[in-house]
Amino acid sequence: MIESCAEKTYAATTITDIVARAHISRTTFYKHFEDKRACFDAAIGYCIGEMQKAAAAAHSPGDPPGEAARKAATAVVGALAAKPGLAQLLTGDAMAVEPSVIERYRRATIPALEALWSEDGDEPAAYTDPRLAFGQAQVLILNQIATGNPDKLLDLLPEIVYLTVSPFGGHEEALRQSREAGKTETRGAVSR
Amino acid sequence: MSDNPEDLRQWRLPRGRHGLPRELVERSQRERLLAAVVRVTVANGYEKTTVGDILGEAGVGRESFYELFDDKLDCMLAAHKILADDLEKQVRVAYDADGPWPERARRSLAVILDWFAVDPEAARFFLVELSTVGPAFRATFKAEYARFTKLLDDGLGEDGPNPELTRATGLAVGAIMARIYEEVVLGKAAELPGLLPELTYGFLVPFVGEEVARIEQERATEG
Repeated sequence: MIESCAEKTYAATTITDIVARAHISRTTFYKHFEDKRACFDAAIGYCIGEMQKAAAAAHSPGDPPGEAARKAATAVVGALAAKPGLAQLLTGDAMAVEPSVIERYRRATIPALEALWSEDGDEPAAYTDPRLAFGQAQVLILNQIATGNPDKLLDLLPEIVYLTVSPFGGHEEALRQSREAGKTETRGAVSR
Repeated sequence: MSDNPEDLRQWRLPRGRHGLPRELVERSQRERLLAAVVRVTVANGYEKTTVGDILGEAGVGRESFYELFDDKLDCMLAAHKILADDLEKQVRVAYDADGPWPERARRSLAVILDWFAVDPEAARFFLVELSTVGPAFRATFKAEYARFTKLLDDGLGEDGPNPELTRATGLAVGAIMARIYEEVVLGKAAELPGLLPELTYGFLVPFVGEEVARIEQERATEG
């Protein structure tokens, strides 16, 4: 499912594509999933889980919120760059075909960001709508994929970090963290 | 391209009218087909739409269709391009006008929101149906993203900001696309102009910082 969506988009993927790539029979497919949509939902769930794990492992409880958000964003972009197929599945055409996935992404990310900035469990005040920042990040990644550069997702790191920090941390803090992320990226001499 | 987007939206040649110059009939057939592909794919979804559906809606024969277009996708992408050309033209009028950059940017945003709100059907076709066409979606997305990023870059001008983020214009285009897309998917395209203040702020912040963005947001609220 992930491979086929990455290669030919969700809309164009058929059950035949999926079973051929998985080397299973149609019967086996239908034992596990009701239809293409159910299989897609499971694949999205898997990808979101992977990203959440990467993000959670990247920062520690003592980190200030901006720094924690930067580390989490860096880990997620790194994980997506390492497995471009996941990035393509997550930000591909599927959002249009199945708009409900946007809600799933948000549930997976926005509360986690809020938690970083919240004190005593109160919801933090937002500078900009985190949902907007999330959409912007999706568009950036989608464009990188559409341009045929899924392996260069790390180039987007300064912008993605900016978008992750700015809703609750504000513009100046977001720029600071974005600069920091740019430095780390260069120092790490990641594949550019 | 001589296609008029207004025609694309509303054009109907009175049925049974004859004696028109051949060239004009062909042009009108093309326009009818383009208008039809918008209506039909929004109503039925791209996948379920057949060339026959488009012909029925347009009142055009199959042979004429294949003289003008290769297939359903070709027809759809032609209609998409006309709408994108029109959007770009209208944004340019506001963006290339005189005045400080934040103000020109805010006025351009207002034009964009109005453009999508005026015709929710075309908005849905433009943003949502396109993404269901399969692999051709990525190429079109890439081209349109590049087109509007360049438009924004070109208009920064000498008095414009020099944002620290290298992809600030990409972020701005992304902000507009993502926000409008969501409203359109929810069937709320007609309410888009109400988003102007919020979107003005989010759009401008990466370029000009919080203070200037707030000022423009207030101006957007005042209308």
